[in-house]
Amino acid sequence: MPQPSLARVHEAEVVSNVRVAEGLWRLVVKSPVLAAKLSPGQFMSVAVPGEPLQVSRAPLSYVTCDFDAGTVETVYTVVGPGTEALSRMEPGSTTTILGPGGHGWKLDAFTKRCLLVAGGVGVTPIASAAQALGLQGLAYDVVVGARTGNALWGVDRFLTYGADHVVVVTDDGTAGAKGLTTDALEAALPEERYDLVLVCGPEPMMRKCAELCAEYEVACQVSMERMMTCGFGACATCVVPTVNGAVGACMGGPVMNAAEVVW
Amino acid sequence: MSEEILTTEVVEEEPQGPSMAVNLGGIAMKNPINTASGTYGFGWQFEGFYDVSQLGAITTKGCAAEPWPGNPAPRMCDVYGGVMNSVGLQNPGVKGMVAEAGEYLAKLAEKGTAVICQVAGHSVEEYVAAVEQFEELAPWAAGLEINISCPNIAQGGIAMGSTPDGAAEVIKAVRPRTERPLLVKMAPTRVPEVARALEAAGADALSVINSIPAMAIDVDTRRSKLSRPTGGLSGPACHAIAVRMVWEAAQAVQIPINGVGGVSSGRDAAEFILAGATSVSVGAANLWDPTCAPRILQELTAWVESQGVDDVNELIGAFEC
Repeated sequence: MPQPSLARVHEAEVVSNVRVAEGLWRLVVKSPVLAAKLSPGQFMSVAVPGEPLQVSRAPLSYVTCDFDAGTVETVYTVVGPGTEALSRMEPGSTTTILGPGGHGWKLDAFTKRCLLVAGGVGVTPIASAAQALGLQGLAYDVVVGARTGNALWGVDRFLTYGADHVVVVTDDGTAGAKGLTTDALEAALPEERYDLVLVCGPEPMMRKCAELCAEYEVACQVSMERMMTCGFGACATCVVPTVNGAVGACMGGPVMNAAEVVW
Repeated sequence: MSEEILTTEVVEEEPQGPSMAVNLGGIAMKNPINTASGTYGFGWQFEGFYDVSQLGAITTKGCAAEPWPGNPAPRMCDVYGGVMNSVGLQNPGVKGMVAEAGEYLAKLAEKGTAVICQVAGHSVEEYVAAVEQFEELAPWAAGLEINISCPNIAQGGIAMGSTPDGAAEVIKAVRPRTERPLLVKMAPTRVPEVARALEAAGADALSVINSIPAMAIDVDTRRSKLSRPTGGLSGPACHAIAVRMVWEAAQAVQIPINGVGGVSSGRDAAEFILAGATSVSVGAANLWDPTCAPRILQELTAWVESQGVDDVNELIGAFEC
């Protein structure tokens, strides 16, 4: 029999839940066992108790785990009634979280230098990779993009986590350079400094990044965002078309080899 | 304390609960809890959460004679009190399913959990072909559930299961191909008359109901929240409708009913039993509360005890108006 998911249902208590940028909220929950089990790029599925418009769990990436405090930090975007209800959860309120889900970044897959590319709320799993790379003393740079300066989060985190260079881009030019993350990637790849690119953001952005990396023959991993109803391989909701057929992002991802995704 | 004293101590007998065993049209179940196809994978996905062999039965994801790719994403969205799906019966085909899970399911059957395999098809011929493959490859299957009510496929599915003649045609064709108990997953449409036609065509039991055809529109983009205009509604929002349809089916036919629709608790399961169901499938709740099925079994057992009976069968159809 195939290996069942290692995810389990964990009790969790909200420690803080505040808006940190336009459309982005930062949630910290206390859930010690979960905090000890998550690894960068994995996800967790958070129940939103008492919200009839969100009976299924909301799948969220995470930024960091604090083993000593037993906490997990995530930055999420409010996209519908479910995440809106999540944003109203007060400190002290309790819920359950299913996790860890899927498998995360393969951070040992390069020898030269890694480039992290984050668009919008894609900054969350990218930040988890950044912290892990920094802790291992590995060399990396970051491109972080948002619609506008007010919707940007994470630049100081990347610097804290040891990124050598952080390139900021916004669609409207209100922070960093005006343009797209893919423009920054396209400018960076010909330098041949990078042998691994990690990407999370809107799907058109990830597709373009995958194409650029294929063109420059640089390995690329993408964190696929899908509506994951169960998060453990039972519902066949979160499928991603790949060269190996349809693969569930919850068990076959969320981090996938960009060259295997059929965009 | 010496050994002698220990051996002379009166051993308290384990408290005997009520008998929970039921028979679903020839499928012996140690308790009435089953799972709804499409919410339970091939069973192994839940082994990380609990010992699946506690359940009376599981019903596996519908499989056809050939693999089906299913529908594009998005395949699921949340709506008030439930979820809507348009998975489109993605499946690896009977052969792929047996290769993936056959060994596991054979062991589960050995442990006394009935494995009910759901059968999908676009046409009568495809249903027959899939049944023949199960006959050849799945000797451990306790029964086959013919899905003539999927709302998310272009041909077959609900189009065939919504009329008495269409539904009966499929069952008449597959009936001679297997001696195993045949269940039929019914559409939430014309339940009493379709149920009677299925009974006459040779069905051994009926699963009532499949997800309810429904629609959800994103008013900002004016697009469907799924990849197709419509999908199937499941979850708590369906439950009261499903209870009514189980009751109607139980009035209409002599063969047993497997109640399906929005079960999240033992009390929900009890409602189906009172309405006339012999067994109860836990469906969409498995997806967000993956440990719920054994809990629902415990709650149902406690409810049977609370009713002052020693056999759950005494409560089947015991609804009083």
